[in-house]
Amino acid sequence: MITRRFTSWGRLEAARAAAVEPAWLDEIELGPAPRLAYGLGRSYGDSCLLDGGTMIDTRHLDRLVRFDAKTGLLSAEAGITLDAILRFCVPSGWFLPTTPGTREVTLGGAIANDVHGKNHHRVGCFGNHVPRLELMRSDGSRTITSSGEELHAATIGGLGLTGMITRAEVQLVPIRSASLDVELIRFENLDEFAELSTESGDGWEHTVAWIDCLARAEHVGRGIFIRGNWAESGDLQPHAEGGPTVPLDFPGFALNPLSIRLFNQTYHNRFPGKSKRLVQHYSPFFHPLDSVHEWNRIYGKRGFYQYQSVVPAAAGIGPVRAMLEAIAAARQGSFLAVLKSFGGVASPGMLSFPFAGLTLALDFPNRGRRTLDLFSQLDRIVREAGGRLYPAKDARMSPADFAAGYPRLEEFRRHVDPGFTSDFWKRMNP
Amino acid sequence: MNQPVYRAAVFGATSAIASEFLRALCEDHEAELLLFGRDESRLEATAADLRARGATCTVRTADFLDFEHDWKAELDGPTWDLFLVAHGSLPDQDRSLGEGAAIAREIGVNFTSQAVIAAACAEILDRQGHGRLAVIGSVAGDRGRASNFLYGSAKAGIAAFMAGLQHRFAERQAIHVSLLKPGMTDTPMTADLPKGPLFSPASKVGRLGWKAVRSGKPTAYLPGWWAGVMTVVRSLPSSVLHKTKL
Ligand SMILES: Cc1cc2nc3c(=O)[nH]c(=O)nc-3n(C[C@H](O)[C@H](O)[C@H](O)COP(=O)(O)OP(=O)(O)OC[C@H]3O[C@@H](n4cnc5c(N)ncnc54)[C@H](O)[C@@H]3O)c2cc1C
Ligand SMILES: NC(=O)c1ccc[n+]([C@@H]2O[C@H](COP(=O)([O-])OP(=O)(O)OC[C@H]3O[C@@H](n4cnc5c(N)ncnc54)[C@H](OP(=O)(O)O)[C@@H]3O)[C@@H](O)[C@H]2O)c1
Repeated sequence: MITRRFTSWGRLEAARAAAVEPAWLDEIELGPAPRLAYGLGRSYGDSCLLDGGTMIDTRHLDRLVRFDAKTGLLSAEAGITLDAILRFCVPSGWFLPTTPGTREVTLGGAIANDVHGKNHHRVGCFGNHVPRLELMRSDGSRTITSSGEELHAATIGGLGLTGMITRAEVQLVPIRSASLDVELIRFENLDEFAELSTESGDGWEHTVAWIDCLARAEHVGRGIFIRGNWAESGDLQPHAEGGPTVPLDFPGFALNPLSIRLFNQTYHNRFPGKSKRLVQHYSPFFHPLDSVHEWNRIYGKRGFYQYQSVVPAAAGIGPVRAMLEAIAAARQGSFLAVLKSFGGVASPGMLSFPFAGLTLALDFPNRGRRTLDLFSQLDRIVREAGGRLYPAKDARMSPADFAAGYPRLEEFRRHVDPGFTSDFWKRMNP
Repeated sequence: MNQPVYRAAVFGATSAIASEFLRALCEDHEAELLLFGRDESRLEATAADLRARGATCTVRTADFLDFEHDWKAELDGPTWDLFLVAHGSLPDQDRSLGEGAAIAREIGVNFTSQAVIAAACAEILDRQGHGRLAVIGSVAGDRGRASNFLYGSAKAGIAAFMAGLQHRFAERQAIHVSLLKPGMTDTPMTADLPKGPLFSPASKVGRLGWKAVRSGKPTAYLPGWWAGVMTVVRSLPSSVLHKTKL
């Protein structure tokens, strides 16, 4: 066993841990406790890290186990990436039931964070489409869990704390083309966003909005609404491999308010009229940033935070407006600000993040105290609205906010494997 | 698509590089694969993956170090499009060098057994009059270096062996003999090595390997930029090389 460094996407901190790298399902040894399974480290904070412990790197567990070409039910080892699944299934007319904003995540990681995509309002979370999985516990036992069972509900969105997922089933969905009919619509404020969101809920399978979070005064909340449906016909070409890599850490000054403003405005003015229709391959539509490898390096050596919240639908647009105003006032622009309405499909996991409401995700370069102070303001808005934060993106939420946001936490605790933990879990249980 | 089934036999089919090679092959062809290895459960896991990708697979356990084994009899029957010889092991050199049997075993895995199997396959191709033979060597065979000359010398041996087969079949347009030379690749074989920027993912190496074999390349560095790196390593004067830790 070698000891090595494990990173997460925000590059705020890294873990040094003993690395276990199983390559065969039948030969898995979990290594000494405490331990944690690791996918591709695409979580932003510390939920995928365990400094000083054992980390089970799943990247060699990347095989398909079975595929039913009639029903689209896929069974695979937990370390397979969504990238590899898509390469496999797209040519024969299948797609993932939902996909996060990057395909560089593992099946195990997608389940452990119960990730969501642009079609949440229609199909719920990733875990809604995982009928069964196999879980390996510290005592060496391997259990198959099925939807409806408690251990299944604890493991989906369970942050890797219930044991190691060794393999899982996912129900793929049929597509007739690898492209989508897409419409981009400019909106001037959050009320317009809300209208577009409501109007698009039925007719559009995929919706999301991009927000210009440096806009001031009457412009606060302007942005672009993006909606798409799978095209009825076209070719079934999977995404291409490769793309440029951000070679070195960008110097921190590249991201001053001016450069961010420039970026935001360019994006905002991408098309002249009010709206634009286009046909887009799934890759730029779902995974726009995957074409630049390691783009997280543009935030420099100090790393960056992502702040993703959800507030209940009943709270309306007010909390989102308040957050955007606080961010604009603090002049801590976000390179990317994403706003989406989650739908009412019940999340399958005890700790699944999504519920019906509005989710806002923002990136912030790490400016130390200033950034954390802004987060405290945002926390207050989220707390008062009855919302919560996404552990997959978090590096700093308070244990109190975590407990308040996740009412099934105590129920979840009963299923935690005592031989597993994470830096996030330690932080939540000081 | 109405192309005929592509029939291949693979030795060391559980290798990560071989698996990726076969995944790429399965994207291009409806394949019928005979998978050889020493561990049944690993072979079955490999076969399941390839079956899900549309291949028909048969698995067979075998002892590659049994040099008496009659491979021609084992492979008798069908017409083969491809033989891939992939197995190999990276020894703990310092420990092995002190022990004659360990040296012999490493040479046996990385050279002798590959040569025995390649020779049998070459005979079959000779008889068929067409087909492909690919063997996985290594950049390590390009020059003996202090850090891994036990493994490297076996890989140099198989390189010479393959060069000889290429020469022998030079006039035979329909027979293609390829030596694949991966550089450092992230597979279970290199689990104990710290991963630096020179490492490539097995998916890339395997895929490029299939492309090279498909196009009949006699020698392919995987990825291609290793050709440049190894040209430099080969041309370093010993007086310079000996000052490095390579
Ligand atoms: C550019 C980008 C866009 C993103 N967009 C979205 C989005 O739209 N929606 C969304 O929901 N998320 C999104 N994310 C977050 C990402 O999808 C999740 O963090 C995902 O879980 C990462 O998967 P991973 O394989 O890298 O797992 P890691 O980050 O390595 O691990 C995540 C968690 O899964 C656990 N885990 C991993 N493998 C196993 C296993 N085999 N068994 C048990 N536990 C395991 C780990 O212990 C950890 O708790 C995005 C991330 C990036 C970088
Ligand atoms: N990884 C690299 O950096 C690298 C670089 C250059 C060349 N190569 C070469 O690439 C080939 C494939 O290796 P890999 O990287 O894919 O590693 P791998 O996944 O570890 O595969 C090694 C393969 O060799 C088999 N093997 C090892 N020792 C054996 C023995 N004594 N008898 C029979 N079979 C044995 C293994 O079988 P089991 O599954 O039964 O163990 C497995 O199929 C090897 O020839 C290797 O030398 C690798």
